[in-house]
Amino acid sequence: MAYSQCFSVSLSHTNTHTHTYALSLSLSLSLSLSLSLPSLSVSLFLLSLSLSSFSLSLPSLSLFLLSLSLSLSLSLSLSLSLSLSLSLSLSVSVSLSFPPSLSTFQTEHKMSIEECCRKFNTDIVQGLTNAKAAEFLIRDGPNCLTPPPTTPEWIKFCRQLFGGFSILLWTGAILCFLAYAIQAATEDEPAGDNLYLGIVLSVVVVVTGCFSYFQEAKSSKIMESFKNMVPQQALVIREGEKMTINAEEVVAGDLVEVKGGDRIPADLRVVSAHGCKVDNSSLTGESEPQSRSPDCTHDNPLETRNVAFFSTNCVEGTARGIVVCTGDRTVMGRIATLTSGLESGKTPIAKEIEHFIHLITGVAVFLGITFFILAVCLGYTWLEAVIFLIGIIVANVPEGLLATVTVCLTLTAKRMAKKNCLVKNLEAVETLGSTSTICSDKTGTLTQNRMTVAHMWFDNQIHEADTTEDQSGASFDKTSASWAALARVAALCNRAVFKAGQDQLPILKRDTAGDASESALLKCIELSCGSVKQIREKNKKVAEIPFNSTNKYQLSVHETEDPNDNRYLLVMKGAPERILDRCTTIIIQGKEQPMDEEMKESFQNAYMELGGLGERVLGFCHLLMPEDQYPKGFAFDCDDVNFTTESLCFVGLMSMIDPPRAAVPDAVGKCRSAGIKVIMVTGDHPITAKAIAKGVGIISEGNETVEDIASRLNIPVSQVNPRDAKACVIHGTDLKELSQDQMDDILRNHTEIVFARTSPQQKLIIVEGCQRLGAIVAVTGDGVNDSPALKKADIGVAMGISGSDVSKQAADMILLDDNFASIVTGVEEGRLIFDNLKKSIAYTLTSNIPEITPFLLFIIVNIPLPLGTITILCIDLGTDMVPAISLAYEAAESDIMKRQPRNPTRDKLVNERLISIAYGQIGMIQALGGFFSYFVILAENGFLPSILVGIRLNWDDRACNDLEDSYGQQWTYEQRKIVEFTCHTAFFVSIVVVQWADVIVCKTRRNSVFQQGMKNKILIFGLFEETALAAFLSYTPGMDVALRMFPLKHRHTSTQTDIHLHKQIVIDIHLHKQTYTYTNR
Amino acid sequence: MAKDAEKSTWKDFIWNSRTREFCGRTGSSWGLILLFYLVFYIFLAGMFCLTMYVMLQTLDDYKPTWQDRLGTPGMMIRPRGKAMEISYNTTNTETWDMYIKTLDNFLSPYNNSLQAEKNEECTPDQYFVQADSGDVKNNPKRSCQFNRTFLEKCSGLDDHTYGYQAGKPCIIIKLNRVIGMLPGKDGQAPFVTCGAKRYKVGKDEWKEDSDKIGEVEYYPENGTFNLMYYPYYGKKAQVNYSQPLVAIKFLNITLNEDINIECRIISNNIPPGSVRDKFAGKVSFKLRINTKG
Repeated sequence: MAYSQCFSVSLSHTNTHTHTYALSLSLSLSLSLSLSLPSLSVSLFLLSLSLSSFSLSLPSLSLFLLSLSLSLSLSLSLSLSLSLSLSLSLSVSVSLSFPPSLSTFQTEHKMSIEECCRKFNTDIVQGLTNAKAAEFLIRDGPNCLTPPPTTPEWIKFCRQLFGGFSILLWTGAILCFLAYAIQAATEDEPAGDNLYLGIVLSVVVVVTGCFSYFQEAKSSKIMESFKNMVPQQALVIREGEKMTINAEEVVAGDLVEVKGGDRIPADLRVVSAHGCKVDNSSLTGESEPQSRSPDCTHDNPLETRNVAFFSTNCVEGTARGIVVCTGDRTVMGRIATLTSGLESGKTPIAKEIEHFIHLITGVAVFLGITFFILAVCLGYTWLEAVIFLIGIIVANVPEGLLATVTVCLTLTAKRMAKKNCLVKNLEAVETLGSTSTICSDKTGTLTQNRMTVAHMWFDNQIHEADTTEDQSGASFDKTSASWAALARVAALCNRAVFKAGQDQLPILKRDTAGDASESALLKCIELSCGSVKQIREKNKKVAEIPFNSTNKYQLSVHETEDPNDNRYLLVMKGAPERILDRCTTIIIQGKEQPMDEEMKESFQNAYMELGGLGERVLGFCHLLMPEDQYPKGFAFDCDDVNFTTESLCFVGLMSMIDPPRAAVPDAVGKCRSAGIKVIMVTGDHPITAKAIAKGVGIISEGNETVEDIASRLNIPVSQVNPRDAKACVIHGTDLKELSQDQMDDILRNHTEIVFARTSPQQKLIIVEGCQRLGAIVAVTGDGVNDSPALKKADIGVAMGISGSDVSKQAADMILLDDNFASIVTGVEEGRLIFDNLKKSIAYTLTSNIPEITPFLLFIIVNIPLPLGTITILCIDLGTDMVPAISLAYEAAESDIMKRQPRNPTRDKLVNERLISIAYGQIGMIQALGGFFSYFVILAENGFLPSILVGIRLNWDDRACNDLEDSYGQQWTYEQRKIVEFTCHTAFFVSIVVVQWADVIVCKTRRNSVFQQGMKNKILIFGLFEETALAAFLSYTPGMDVALRMFPLKHRHTSTQTDIHLHKQIVIDIHLHKQTYTYTNR
Repeated sequence: MAKDAEKSTWKDFIWNSRTREFCGRTGSSWGLILLFYLVFYIFLAGMFCLTMYVMLQTLDDYKPTWQDRLGTPGMMIRPRGKAMEISYNTTNTETWDMYIKTLDNFLSPYNNSLQAEKNEECTPDQYFVQADSGDVKNNPKRSCQFNRTFLEKCSGLDDHTYGYQAGKPCIIIKLNRVIGMLPGKDGQAPFVTCGAKRYKVGKDEWKEDSDKIGEVEYYPENGTFNLMYYPYYGKKAQVNYSQPLVAIKFLNITLNEDINIECRIISNNIPPGSVRDKFAGKVSFKLRINTKG
């Protein structure tokens, strides 16, 4: 119920982000706010329609416009229908995804075996008949999970082509074509500029779209390689015969046998079991194996002992069961479908880009409309004014930015992949950087996912074992005789063995066959005492009673090492209190002493202490059997025990835990200082969870939970003010009863939270709770149970090694080494790229002003055009590219892991400050630099600034071939056009020169360039590349025809040094950056 | 509820009466921003003006720094017509009246009386060089007379319609002024010659109207630009400079047809212009004289 409630909340969650708009432009923006770009194009389309009806006197024009508007409306309706169909499919999947509550679904576990057999028309001995099985297979379909509906490749491609930023460029391109169409219809010899620009814009979008599409295709290919291609086999009994079939062919009603090491082929109702234990961790997150038996022990199918679940593993023992569900109807299948129904929201960077588009559109429309009105007032015709309007709007589109942003993100994604973070979705690169909460899974992510002996108690003392992965930790005193005895018991009373053929591997990395705790013991003894195999060979096993839940111990009887000693050695391990009950003596310093009350108390203390650490404690004892009662050859009967199991000698305790990974405490500490809240969410027991949380610093030293305070002050829990406790451990059952407000309260008021015993749905609730409080949530997880939360999170991080396929599919990012510490590097990279993208954008946007102002002055004061479309494209797509991209390589300015995560509502990628400094300040300086070189070229060729104003009409008149300059000389059209194109080239070169300075300005946000240094080699390369490209473009023979760029005279180039003067101002501003309030731009 | 909140935030954003903020900033904050930009832009403007002033100081008053784009002077015709197309109907006065007016206006400064008043007679067939002696400028520089009567039948003095009415129109051709240009060496004056223009009619098909042009007369004789009008010393030094002209008269051009004509300057030291420039050292235009109503 709680789940569906939260689901409806998530559904009703609408995009309600408020727009905070630019300072100087906000007035005009109120006008343009409602016009996002698509609607802008719609309005322009309407405009063109009204125009076509207006100008009926020009039949050719209206025809042109009509055809154009037709194509426009077509493309619009296409994109509309595309988004419509997308949202439709989404809503469908959502409505499908409401799963019936898991607890009410299955009832087979409550039925008797006979009822069950009747339900499935099967027989408890013979199994299904082959005919029935075939019939059921046809009815139910194969026993496998339907893969989530994969988006068709062409839709993925279209998303790259039409998503986010591309829309801006597409609109620009369409406007260009529109303008060209108007020109073509009204002029005899239309200038091709708008056509070229439109084509170039389209090409840019398509090329970048392809680029990012292939980039993502590459990472999804890596994803494919994770998939386990080995088909699963299952042992079924049909018509009384055992047969091995493909797991996909298993049907409901089949009688299935599983043994240790098998994967459960479907949901099974256990009918008989022998010491069967299953590992449900991928489903419930519980790391300890659980035993299975035919008895129903719980109403909840997830808790009851007599159901084994699809795709979990049988760890040991054997079991036989009737298949009750197959494929998608299994519990696992339903969780998987739950995941595919969840919609993950927009990534933060997508929101930022949307905001950026709003800003840019605002500026563009504001400028466009202003100059449209001005142009009309100045007496231009309506059509001319419309072309100007379009020209200005298009000029505001930063052509190169889409490519720059994509390349920057790709570079970071590559860098992250090197650090073991594989990013599936390019935009997710930045998400980790803005993450403010990490909900981490415990097992496997924070811990090594491997039981390890952590502590031992012998000689009345607790000894600490080395739990680190590389055995770098402290060692304990191994000389005591008690330790030798303890090691012998642990080695002998142990059924775990190393799998063959791993001798060259380090001991800790070897695979073992057997129970997790026995394996832990095995490895511990192998590490400290040498080969266990030899010990076992020397002490031959005579008899054995395996562990069972009634007596809670395991014993075996061995011959002794000493060939002269004919006594038998009985070794036993088990639950410590049960072992103690059977002991009358205890070994201290190798000597047997009677077990007195004092000893018992110290045992109790040790047991409590180890248990309190969340460790699993085992007791060990032994007995050298008296030779007179048990002579050599005595027949030990294990079923009907004919030997003593009492008055044994207690040897010691050993405790095990799944220890934290070495790098995790450090990583958690880094997250802390980076202002990221780390929440542990686990299916494990609260005590274990708390112990690990303390171990890795999720609950930091000195912080107490309510329960800790209560026990310290010796008062009931209810009397403790929850506000006093910063940490808290919440049990899944408590979580169930919390209201939404209480949940928010907990998340808000506790900085250190551990959720234990949580179910998949609860994980989802936790994630949604955090998101409700405005946090950007990262979720890590490996199990199927984690996948809904992974999908819901702003960024889901799955584990590459231990993760299930379902979780990897749901995640946005995959940790290839399963290490939590990799997330921290991911956060670092994410934050860095956010900063660096800001720099790139500031750099790229700056050149917009020197690109637009020439056109504006061309319109308003009628001077010859100072900068042409081709040269603008040369800047945006040529010289500016490498420096802009090189900013992605810029090193962090300060320790970015020491500041708070950015606030998504306040810290925008592009804000009014950035626009103000890029457009209002640096852009203006650049424009002046460009105009200066423009005036120099014209003046030195004879056109002084005084005669330029108003010269445009004659200047651009092809028939006027005797235009007089300031000196009385006369110019043909071509002659003065060459001068004009030389001006374009000069303007272009001066923009390149001022962009040198700009890249140095943009390179830092807070630091001075002297603090930051010029260590970015790519940036230095960018500077040279930019210059070389500019020189190439202006001096290569043939460029005058190809790009209409003319070589500058040496003297003209040197006059550019004057621009260095302007550059000085730029650097001046930059040096005083700290004293201005632009630190947060 | 949420909607209300949204609404109020919008209003608040424009004018927040509680914090007295306009668009998210207080008055003093806006004031400081405006002040900053005001000072900043004044500074920038000052800087720009200073650099412009310095740049203008480096320029020569009498001769531009660069003239390399004017190596081949352009040529132009009068009347210009609409996009270099002169077409009219002999029977309809209105269609050629404007050409007459253009020519009248254009030629009025060349009236003999005016020329005699302002300019002097020079020695023909040699450059009229008025060199400066070092730093001492020899200004103002004198100019040679180009009398309207030099154009004879095309001067518009005898025939006020410049032959337009009779279907024998005059076109006046001039060579663009370029400071310091000497258009011929070894005393050979440049002259204008007109002929048919090759023009494209289809793919790889060219056509010439040479047979349709008929007889052409040039005034002054041979269509020469006399050397005495060169070199030109610029607007400032040579205020009364009279640009030499050549008039051509089509005596029996084919009527009622489009005729493409190209006139070129023939000179022994004017380099051929670039292929792209249709007006460097040549001028082409279209002539169509209709006779039928």
